[in-house]
Parts: sequence; structure tokens; C-alpha cells
Amino acid sequence: MSNNNPHINPPKLAIRLLQGFIKDELVEEVLGDLEEKFHKTAENKTLKKARKNYWYQVIRYIRPFAIKKFKIPGFPGQTAYDMYKHYLKISWRNLVRSKVFSSIKIGGFAIGIAACILIALYIQSEAGYDRHYTEGDRIYRVANNYQSIDGNDMWVNLHGPLKPVLEENFPEIERVSRVVLWRWGNAGENHVRALNSRNNIYEEGFFYADPELLEILEIPMIYGSQERALTGPNSIVISKSKADKYFPGQNPVGEQFILNDTPEDTYTIGGVMEDFPVNSHLQGDFILTLAERTTGPGTTGWCCTNYTYYLKLTEAADKVALEEKMVALRDTYLIDKFLEAGMTDVEDLQKHQSYYLQPVKNAYLNPENIFDGQVHGSHDLLWIFGTVAVIILIIACLNFINLSTARSIKRAKEVGLRKVVGSVRSSLIYQYLAESVFYSILSVAAAAVVAFLALPLFNSIADKTLVIPWTSLWFLPSLLIVAVLIGILSGLYPAFYLSRFNPIEALKGRATSGVKSTFFRSSMVVFQFTATVILIIGALVMHRQFEHYMNKSLGFEKEQVINLLRVNTLDETERDVLKEELLRLSTIESATLGDYLPVAGAAITNFGFQVEERKATDPGFEAARWRVDEDYLNTMSMELIAGRNFSKRASDKEAIIINERMAQQFALEDPVGTWLIDMFDGRYQVIGVVKDFHFESLVTSVRPLAMVLGKGQSTLSVKVKTDDMQGSIAAISDVWTTVKSNQPIRYSFMNERFALMYSDLLRIKELFLTFSILAIIVACLGLFALSAYTIEQRSKEISVRKILGASVNRIFTLLATDFIKLVVIASLIAVPIGWYLMDNFLNDLANRIDLSWPIFTIATLSAFVIALITISYESIKAALVNPASRLRSE
Amino acid sequence: MKETRLGDFEEVILLLVGILDQEAYAFKIAEEFESQTQRSVSIGAVHSTLNRLGEKGFLTSEMGESTAERGGRRKRIYSITASGQRVLQESRDFKVSLWNQFPAFASGNLKIEWLNL
Repeated sequence: MSNNNPHINPPKLAIRLLQGFIKDELVEEVLGDLEEKFHKTAENKTLKKARKNYWYQVIRYIRPFAIKKFKIPGFPGQTAYDMYKHYLKISWRNLVRSKVFSSIKIGGFAIGIAACILIALYIQSEAGYDRHYTEGDRIYRVANNYQSIDGNDMWVNLHGPLKPVLEENFPEIERVSRVVLWRWGNAGENHVRALNSRNNIYEEGFFYADPELLEILEIPMIYGSQERALTGPNSIVISKSKADKYFPGQNPVGEQFILNDTPEDTYTIGGVMEDFPVNSHLQGDFILTLAERTTGPGTTGWCCTNYTYYLKLTEAADKVALEEKMVALRDTYLIDKFLEAGMTDVEDLQKHQSYYLQPVKNAYLNPENIFDGQVHGSHDLLWIFGTVAVIILIIACLNFINLSTARSIKRAKEVGLRKVVGSVRSSLIYQYLAESVFYSILSVAAAAVVAFLALPLFNSIADKTLVIPWTSLWFLPSLLIVAVLIGILSGLYPAFYLSRFNPIEALKGRATSGVKSTFFRSSMVVFQFTATVILIIGALVMHRQFEHYMNKSLGFEKEQVINLLRVNTLDETERDVLKEELLRLSTIESATLGDYLPVAGAAITNFGFQVEERKATDPGFEAARWRVDEDYLNTMSMELIAGRNFSKRASDKEAIIINERMAQQFALEDPVGTWLIDMFDGRYQVIGVVKDFHFESLVTSVRPLAMVLGKGQSTLSVKVKTDDMQGSIAAISDVWTTVKSNQPIRYSFMNERFALMYSDLLRIKELFLTFSILAIIVACLGLFALSAYTIEQRSKEISVRKILGASVNRIFTLLATDFIKLVVIASLIAVPIGWYLMDNFLNDLANRIDLSWPIFTIATLSAFVIALITISYESIKAALVNPASRLRSE
Repeated sequence: MKETRLGDFEEVILLLVGILDQEAYAFKIAEEFESQTQRSVSIGAVHSTLNRLGEKGFLTSEMGESTAERGGRRKRIYSITASGQRVLQESRDFKVSLWNQFPAFASGNLKIEWLNL
């Protein structure tokens, strides 16, 4: 018989479960039936299916007729079910009897849990990027991995000709695609018109990719095929939403787009793809092909690293082994190519640099901190918010515990009576646990509603499009589980505490909370306020740091500068005409054609530089290299500390202006006159040194920067003399229309673009502020209820004091002191912890603020004031009451 | 008072008990149900219905013998009571009378074989 085989047995755990809940008289027949079913399934199908089916059958036996009635020892005829019904009834009556107290208890809890739900949704969405690929575990991005004693660095840029090398040498690589996301050629933003239209329309989200990208990233196609949509020269794949915009209701494959009025940039649509899902790290609406290009992207050699690589590996491929093989290939083969292309620091490269394959699911959060110039979620931020969520939850739970025990005297008589009529301690514990679970379920339900209502606000602060997944299978059950768990956790202490009362004492009304429980309650208040004060400190520090960035003197003018964008659709003479015309306006002080701006979203180019006379000994370093015209420094109000600006002299073609940092890094005492060479052997003589200005995010420090003479093609910046920006824009627009009538003007204010660079920081600041306020509200609700309760306890004492002549003032002080003491202790604990945490946080930022006493003073004082206001309502009420009315009832 | 109406599923189960006779225990009934109707059902659901039919007085049951594939456990064999047979009969008569009142069928345009059983 098959069941003689010891391995073919139903799952033991399932049997145990069944025996646990099923009526004794049914055990034999049911186990028999299920075992028969199990062997039958095992024979006909597989053992695995049989085991699974056994579990299913067991679960399906959870039906009223089959479940054991849990008897309570000593109470014949009563089942556990009846008792729980009774507990619920008592809980409900208690809830209704003291409405204010109950609503504070439930409301505070609900706010805390709602905050946690929102944070959990946020974390889930941030951590849930790039999970939609069917073979996601085989998709990787390639990164350079530089490791030395000075630190580790990872970045994505690689050489163009590496693609065929990878394809030929590694059978475990199934497909390779290069991608260009930075502003090169037509990547980024463009003006677009369909071939038969005259009007230029501004569009963003262009990038270059090899045809293989569609297959690697499994991009679903609506028209055209993944294999062929990008193979033709100058082919383009557009997203569904853009196809609907330009070619509603038709198949646009074969139609053509012209970019920026440039006939050479005519692209033929090879396919239409579904829009990238919101949780994809890669976003964009227009994919331009890198295949068969003759200039620009796709044609560079071993000189330059301009491409991000995406790989799809075969199923059998081993990531680590491949990384090692790639290094080996580099050392044996690629090195020669690098040397030919004039690379100077090959030794350093071989010594410290390797390759790292980043799984695509890490590409968004980027825990490896790979530099790729893309938008990322912050790994640290998730940790910070996770911690904040837990702290708020703890505050809310403590509130709950605190309020439950505070009410103990009210419940003492109930406990006493229950004990007298024969209740044992364990059933009292069950009662209070059940009650606490009941409250917690109510709170969680309320929390779900609160979270739903607060979601739009949260979305706008966090810049997200979260929805509450009501219909997801896991959502409501997990809320229920959380509710029960929190209910039990926060009910444990009150349950044990309340059930301990001595019945005689309790019925005499002498059960007091005792020194121990007062201490416990006080320490909970202290903890709550400590956490609150730390959160306030955090919010204040973020605010200060943000303001510091916004107001820092940057070394250039940002308030008076307007950038006219997308002037690359004009030809060179038209651009000069536009500049001349604009300079004629009385409000415009100066104008410059320059694509490189000291704010995000402008052109970026990096070149290696060396000092010519030290060429043999010093490999030099990489610096930002800007092409600017002779009006640039003046328009941006940048200051020269040595030498002169560019002029119209012919010899200035070989002139270069470097920043202080670059001069320092070259250790040049008197840089003016020094000859520099770049990685393409261009020779330049330093004619000036510009004072360091912050041209990248203030979060990092200023890098070396070199400027050479050249005219920009896509951006024209003007400095205006007046504060009347509206008037200036109107005047500029008029000039624009005379020069370029088929394209609306696009402009941006330099200060707004600057602020945009710090939108992340702004967001963190606002979220922090929001959650600190929530924490304060929850903590205050607790304090309010607690003060109300304590004061009620002392009402007789207060009345007697009043009769003996105490003033209102004196009584208020007496009552308030107790609570204020706790807040003071909390502040004393919070300040050093807050200082330590914030100092650590700020250490990661360049240009950090110093932590100063005002921050801590404000934080403590505000906690103090809020606490004082919270307790004064009840305290003053108690102090003002007529003592006779209180004492009369004795 | 227990309700004594017969639901659809209950009727099928009751009939299956009759068909299976000495082999009418929960697992066999569930299997027979699946093979006759091509619908899946859990043993628990069948057991629950058998239990309800017992409460209504349509079924009785007693413990039968044990077999090796049941791990030596006995099975509960169900059999139809007199009132169970009566309620099945009533249900059938009621349906036949409905069919007879349906003009398209009553006129004999459709041959319905099982009516002549």
C-alpha cells in the first residue's frame, strides 16, 4: 500500500491544525476521508499537489458545524464565544460612556496608524520599481567600479565601441544596448513637428538607444516589432500617448518628424510602444535609434565614455564570473585601444577599476550610489521615513497604554466585582485584551479613512501618485492582522495591570495607581515628548539647511537672469540678430549665447586636463569644460580674481579661463599664462581665473571648471536691469516673435531653475514637518487626556486647597508643574540625541549649516509651550471650579 | 424547528448518498459529485451538507469499517431515511408537474426521455 512509504504522508502541520479546531467526535472520520483523498491525489497527480490539496481540504473544514465549541472550565454550557460577546458589549458600553476620552484614544491611535499607512505605501512604491519584467533577474546595467583608499566611486559611462566587443566575446550576454540619456545630439528636449506641419511643438523625454533595448527591457509594442522598430537609420519609437497626440486614431509607422527645424534631423517612426510604467527607472516618450548613425551619438570611438550599457544575460550566466571576465578582457585587449586613444592614467585604471553589473531592480533606488545623472529615489530617505513611522506608531501605542491604565480606577470596581463573583485572573486578562483589540480595530478602520482623505495632500508633498490598494488581496487582511497585533501589544500592560487589583481594596475604592504605575506613565510621557522634540529639531534643521542653500551667495547672479531656451531652431545669424535686437531693449543690460549654465538641466561636458610642462609626470584630472562667449561672465556677474575676460582677439581661440579650485588642484601659484592641454591635445593658455561659484548642486563641493571661447546654440541668457520681470518678458517676447514666428517662446528664470535643484530637499523638509506635526498632535492628545484624568483624581484635594485659601494661580502652578517637569526631562534627553543625529545627517552635505543653540531652544520651547497649552485647559477649569460643588457630593 | 426544505446542492448530495449506498461516506460522495458534475467541491463542504441533512432528518449515519488507505480509521456511512426518500419524491413530482405545465414541452414537441422512466 502506498501509505507504507514513510515519505508519502499528509503534512503533519495540517493534521495538527485540523485536530486543533475540529470537534472530537469528527476527528476520526474526517482524518480518514482526508487521508484517502490525499493518497488518491498523490497517485493520480503529484505528491506536491496532494500536500497542497490536503491543506486546502483542512482549511475548507473551518465551518461552524465542525468547529469545536471552546468550553470555559467551570462554566458548563458557556462557550468562549458567549464570553467574547459579553466582552465586546462591555467594551462598547465603556466606549459610549466616556465619549471624549474614547474618541481621543481612538482618534490619536488612528492618526498614528494613518501616518504609518501612508509611509508604508510610500516605501512600498519606492522600493517597487522595475519589478514588471518577466526576466528581470537577467537584466543589468553596467557600471565602472573604482575602489581605492580615497574612496569608492561608481558611474555608468562607457565607451561606444565596447558594444560589439561584448557581443563577440561573451556568449553569456544575450543582448547589449547602449543608451544616451544626457544632453547630446537630440537627447533631452526638442521642438517637434510632423513633416506636413509648420508649427514647432516642444517635447521632452528624448533619448538614444540601440535597437536591442526594446527587447532587453521587454517594452510592449502597439505598432511595429521589438526586433525591427529601431533598426532603420534615423528611426524613432514613440510612446502611445505621443502617438495619440500627433496621429490620433491611426497607425503612425512610416510617418516622419523633423526636430528643431533641422532637415538632417528627420526621423521616421518605426514603432509605437506602450508608455513606460510609472514605476520604471527609465522614462521617456521618444527613443531615437543609435543604429547606422553617421555623426554624433553612436559614432564616437575609444576616446570618450558617453554611453550607459544595458545587458540581458542568458539564463545560465553568472554575474560575478562575467564581471571578472570583463576585467580580464579589458586588461588584455581594451587597454591597447585606450592607449591608442590617448588615455593617460591607464595604470591607475588597471589598479583600481573593475566592472559592476547592477540588477535592473536596483536602478531606481540605486543603493550602490552609481552616478548616472538620473532621478533616483533616496535609499536613506526610506530609512528615515521608516524610522519616523515606527516612532509615530510607538507614540500612538504608548498613548493607548497610558490612557487605558489611567482609567484604571474607573474600572477598578468592575474588576473587584468580577473577581468576587468568581472570575479568574486569566479571563480578566482575556477581557482587557479583547477590549484593546476591539479599540485597535476601530482605530485602524478610522485610520484607513484618514489615510484615504489625506492621500491627495501627501501625494502633492511627496510628488507621488499613490493610491490606496483597497482591492488588493493582501491589503485588508494585512490591515486586520496589524490591528489585532497592535491591539494585543498595547493591551498587554493594561490587561496585566488591571487584572492584578485586590478585590477588597478595589471595591472599597482604595485601589490607587501606586508609585510604580505613576512612574511608568510618566516615563511614557517623557518618551513621547523626547521623540517629538527630536522630530521638531529635525524639521527645524532641514528648514535651516534649505534656507541656507537658497540664500547662499553662489558667486553668480540668479535673481536677474532670464534664459531663453530652444534657440537652436534658429540658424547662427538669426541667433546673433536676436541677441542684437534684445540688447537694444532698455531693460536688458547684457546678453550671452551659452549652453552651459550653473543650474541643473544645462549642458555638461567633462574633459581631462594636464599642465603642458608637467605632461610626463602628472596625469592631470577631469574638469567641467564650458564653451562660453565673451559676454558670459558679465551677464552672470561672475568675478575674475586674476587675469582678464575673453575678448574678440583672434588669439583668444587658444585662451582658457579656469576657476580657483582648478588652479588649486594644479597647485599653480600664478596660473595666468600657463599652458594647459586637454585630452584631445588641444593647447590653451590660461588668461584668467574666475572666483569659485557653485555650478552644480550645493550638496557637493565645487569641482574644477575650465571655460573656453565658443558660442552656445540652444540657450540665450539675458541680465535685466529692472525688477519688473513681467514687463521684461513681454518686451522679450515681442522681439522673439519678429525673429521666430512658428515657435512659441520658451524661457526660464535662473532662480527658479536653481530652486528646482533642491526640490528633493524641499520635499524631505515638508514631509518631515508634516510628520512632526502629526507626532505632536498624537502626543498632545495623550497629554490632554492624561491631564484631564489626573486632575479629576485630585479634584477633592484642589477643593480643600481652595477652601484653605489657595489662589487660582497657585493651584494652576501646582497642577502644571507635574507635567512641565516631564517635558523638561524629555527636552534634556532629546537635545543631545537630536544634535548627534542631525550632525551626522549634515556631515553628508557640503555647505552644511552649523548646529546652533537657537534651533534647540526653539524646539524645546515650542514643545514646552504646546504642552503647557494642552494641560492648561483642564488645569484652569479645575482651579476655577466652585469647591463647594465638589465637596458636597462626599 | 429545523427547516425541512431541500436546496439544490442538498438534493444532489442526497441522491448521491442513495446511488453510492454502502459506499456513501464524505470522501466518496465528494468524488462522485466531482465526476458527475465536473465541478470541484471540498470534502468539508460536502460534510457540512451531510451534517445539515442529518439535522433535518433526511439522513442517518453510522460508523463503518476501517481500511488501510485511511490510516486504519473508520468511516461514517450515510443512508437515506424514510423522510429523506419522501422529500426527494416530492421534489421530483413538483418538477414533473412544472414541466407538464410548460406548453412547449407538454404538447410533446420535445421528447424528454427521463420523464418516462
